[in-house]
Amino acid sequence: MSGAFSAAAATATILASEPSVSIPTADVPTAIPPAFVVLAVALVMPFLSRKLGHALGVLATGGVAVWSLLAPAGTYLSVTFLGFDAVLFNVDAFSKLMGVIFGFIGAAAVLYSYSSEARNRQTAFALGYVGTSIGTVFAGDWLTMVFFWELMAVTSTLLVWDYGGEAVRAGFRYAIYHGLGGSLLMVAVVWHYASVGSFLFSASDGIVVGIPAALAAVGIGVNVGFVGLHTWLPDTYPRPHVAASVFLSVYTTKTGVYGLARAFPDGNLAIAYMGAAMALVGVCYALLQDDMRRLLSYHIQSQVGYMVAGVGIGTALATAGAFAHVFNHILYKALLFMTAGVVIARAGEQRLKYLGGLGRALPVTALAFTVAALSISGFPGFNGFVSKGMITAAAHNEHLDGIFYILLAAGVGTFMSFIKFGYYAFLKESKGTWNLKRSVTGQRVAMLSVASLCVALGLYPDALFALLPGSTADAHPFTLGHLGEGFVLAALGVVGFAILKKPLSKVGPGVDVDAVIEPATFYGMRGLVRGVTGLFAVVDHIVVDLTTRSLRAAADPYGAVRGPLGALVGGDGENLRDGSLRASIATSVLLVLVVLGATLVGLL
Amino acid sequence: MTDAIALLVVVPIVLALAPIAFGRLWNRTGWLAAVVAALAHLGLALVVASQVAATGRFTYAVGDYAPPFGIELVADGVSATLALLVSVVTLAVVIYARRAGPDSNGFYSGLLLLTAGISGVFVTGDLFNLYVFIEITGLATYALVATGRSPDAALSSLKYLLVGTIGASLYLLGVGYLYISTGTLNMADLAATIPEVGYDSPLVLTGFGLIVVGLAVKAALFPLHTWQPDAYADSPDSVTAYISALVSTAAAYALFRIIYAVFTPAFDAAAPFALDALVILAAVSVVVGSVLAVLQSDLKRMLAYSSVAQFGLIVAGFAVANATAVTGGLIHLVGHAIMKAGLFVGVGALAGVAGGRTVDDFAGIADRAPVTSAAFAVLAFALVGVPPAVGFAGKWHIVLGAVEGGRWGVAVVAVVSTLLTLAYFARVVERMYFREAPIDASADADDSTVGDNGATDGTLASDGGSEPSSDDAAGISTEAKVVVVVAAVGAVVLGLFATDLVAVFEPVLEVYFE
Repeated sequence: MSGAFSAAAATATILASEPSVSIPTADVPTAIPPAFVVLAVALVMPFLSRKLGHALGVLATGGVAVWSLLAPAGTYLSVTFLGFDAVLFNVDAFSKLMGVIFGFIGAAAVLYSYSSEARNRQTAFALGYVGTSIGTVFAGDWLTMVFFWELMAVTSTLLVWDYGGEAVRAGFRYAIYHGLGGSLLMVAVVWHYASVGSFLFSASDGIVVGIPAALAAVGIGVNVGFVGLHTWLPDTYPRPHVAASVFLSVYTTKTGVYGLARAFPDGNLAIAYMGAAMALVGVCYALLQDDMRRLLSYHIQSQVGYMVAGVGIGTALATAGAFAHVFNHILYKALLFMTAGVVIARAGEQRLKYLGGLGRALPVTALAFTVAALSISGFPGFNGFVSKGMITAAAHNEHLDGIFYILLAAGVGTFMSFIKFGYYAFLKESKGTWNLKRSVTGQRVAMLSVASLCVALGLYPDALFALLPGSTADAHPFTLGHLGEGFVLAALGVVGFAILKKPLSKVGPGVDVDAVIEPATFYGMRGLVRGVTGLFAVVDHIVVDLTTRSLRAAADPYGAVRGPLGALVGGDGENLRDGSLRASIATSVLLVLVVLGATLVGLL
Repeated sequence: MTDAIALLVVVPIVLALAPIAFGRLWNRTGWLAAVVAALAHLGLALVVASQVAATGRFTYAVGDYAPPFGIELVADGVSATLALLVSVVTLAVVIYARRAGPDSNGFYSGLLLLTAGISGVFVTGDLFNLYVFIEITGLATYALVATGRSPDAALSSLKYLLVGTIGASLYLLGVGYLYISTGTLNMADLAATIPEVGYDSPLVLTGFGLIVVGLAVKAALFPLHTWQPDAYADSPDSVTAYISALVSTAAAYALFRIIYAVFTPAFDAAAPFALDALVILAAVSVVVGSVLAVLQSDLKRMLAYSSVAQFGLIVAGFAVANATAVTGGLIHLVGHAIMKAGLFVGVGALAGVAGGRTVDDFAGIADRAPVTSAAFAVLAFALVGVPPAVGFAGKWHIVLGAVEGGRWGVAVVAVVSTLLTLAYFARVVERMYFREAPIDASADADDSTVGDNGATDGTLASDGGSEPSSDDAAGISTEAKVVVVVAAVGAVVLGLFATDLVAVFEPVLEVYFE
């Protein structure tokens, strides 16, 4: 089997240099931003039948993908909002790529939702989340971007909450994290505006260096899952409905990568090292997981680590690689969550140690999983191999050896954990036999179309290269060195899993930073709530007291004035009655003359 | 050249005679004449506006005597907009007055005379002519205030007459000073000749001081406002709505023209104290007016003091002297007229249902008159400056302009005034929506009428034949409801199209701030 792959790869070696594919462009309607179409569908969704609503959802998101593909670069829509110039959408290489993949995977996920019995309300929240994410990546200025960024946090929280149960508390922690991250980014953007004088991306090269850049990095870092800020990721994503997980796995983190690229267009070494750390830490924790979706969630952190490293390295090849990886990762990660969703829905079990032997029971799902696993692991011939290779090559070209070797090690770990996933879920002999309903047509169409795209882009990467920002001139995915690298990593993965299989099954899921952070969040929040409540009680008392007094004074203003005035003038103030503060005619005339006199004295 | 601009003044004056001439023959002559005049005025204002939109600013020499010796009428974006505002407010008040009264032919004569005076103020390009129109406006207003039956109304009218006449006289004196020093009364001509005399000439400075103080009396800035709350509170509701919307507006507009068309921003550069003083006067007016409004329990007095504050804000916008702030002042001038007229009609209408017009009387009124109450609340929040209503657009531009001009004090005052405005309106809206209606209001009626009260607001409209005779049928007329709702919708719609309003004012201000 590997012989066939290498033969195909060998012919492709000749092709891969400059992109030979050019993307057709066409006149597209630009009166309204693409995000608004999706949001409009989200709004009417709860009132439609399930079939019609989901069909509209597929059309709208698919339409965004086609629109993004055809829109010529440089298309934009600028408006003036309260005196600030805002660009509601702006098509360039970055946003085009994001629009294509967000739209495509949105359509696949809505189809998957429909066939996974998702209710209309959940899909409406999901479409709201998709729409705000599309708005974020198409924004042409920081103000619009932050606006949609915050909305994205809100809609994704609602999507998590919609499932109820355990998802509620996890959604609450998710909301706190993203509220903090969004606020930091907002402060950074305001600071940026204060020093640049414009919100437009075109007004400056990335975000202003110094404190704004640091704040933006940490704020966006929450979204992409910087090590230490990542605990919301495995905490939240395994809990909601299986179809909701597909949406969640795609948008938040990848929008973060996009934001990072906007803020740091020339890269940043610290961010590159952070990316490498994320890749390694994420994969180590993934290896220890037993819950399927929790394992996949840690892999999001790990894979996003590659992208963050690519953005951080900042060369043309690295940027292209990072965005190629965004594109590919969205495909195979959504596919993995879809297959995991089918397994959970059919077997009613999400822990690997209770599964096994599903390969025969769910053949299409197993096939899709195999494609996705080979893609994420970076096996030659699948799309992950191409984009990962571009990032590691960029690290190598820049002589960032530390990053290079960490990324390779993470690659081995990825192979190991997906061999583990596949072995326990599909291959291992199970104690009983599964008597399961197979996946339904809609799920199969969604999974197989994404899977075929994974393979197609793995064999023929030029199709993707034409879309990428940065430069793919130095991308040579199918050289012998790279191919060898891929096979060696795969072999190491197999050997590693064979050796570590026993000990791994004995070790628990590991102690993540959330062991510290969750109690800290819990007690911190409790302390905060108590402090705020106490403070509120005090303030409330003062305000109520003050209001009572002022209302009393307002109800009887003359009475309120009488006391102090009486003390001042010396009389008992009894002659100060209702109406006596009104100026008489004589007083009025006197006032006019006084003002006139003062004005003339001043003027002359 | 179109004669429509002159007819804006002539038509209401001529029709003002109709109620006097034919009133004895037919009782409703007055109302009919007023409706005809309002519609004709609207048509003429639209003609003028379309002409301005097509060709920009144009002038009209009255009687073909060429300016600067003849009288010149001027139409540009600002005056055309305000002329349109006069038509709309006149139409609305005339519709409202059909049921609300005062039902006398004399009232309609006075109203049409006032319409003519205000229209004249908005279109004239001549300082002395402006004085004449201000006096027509003033005299008609004194008469209208006195149409209230109460002795208080007569006293208020007298007070207004004395103080207002002093204000107008000061203005005339100022015009005299300018005439002595320059030998001309035409605004455009004055703008050219005053620099020749010199901005620091004592004659010019005195003239400016007299004119501004005179107009400040008319616009009711603190502490020259003393006539205004009495006049507003004691007049009939239709009169209050009309004069609150247009009379002070005319004075503030005159102030705008005199500062920018006659004295020009160059004067501000030469004698900065002049506008500094005006900014301070206006800022004090905003704060004191708002505080006094919070102290009132009578809603009409509250709205009257609110006008003191809002005109302070408008004049502050004019006195900041940059294009953004002046634009804000003009937007607020138009917006305030619509919102305040609507609010006064609303108070008048709701007071009929509540049986009184203090804040406490309005408790629980929202249940008895849901439509009018909702429109009133919308107008209240529009005046507070909640987006997207027009109140926000005006205040926003004023604050923005103040910050641009480095007048942080004005920006702070505007924000503080917003909070105080919220304070006095929140108090009313809270009573309207969240308090129970006082028990005795329904207890003295029959025991079955508690439920009926809720229905009167919606059902009273249709029967035109039988006069409502019993007390509990004192609902809200359809006319009043329509006027308040249209005002509320207008305030919001105007806010949504504020950008277009800015575009209309822009060419006018560009000339002044080139």
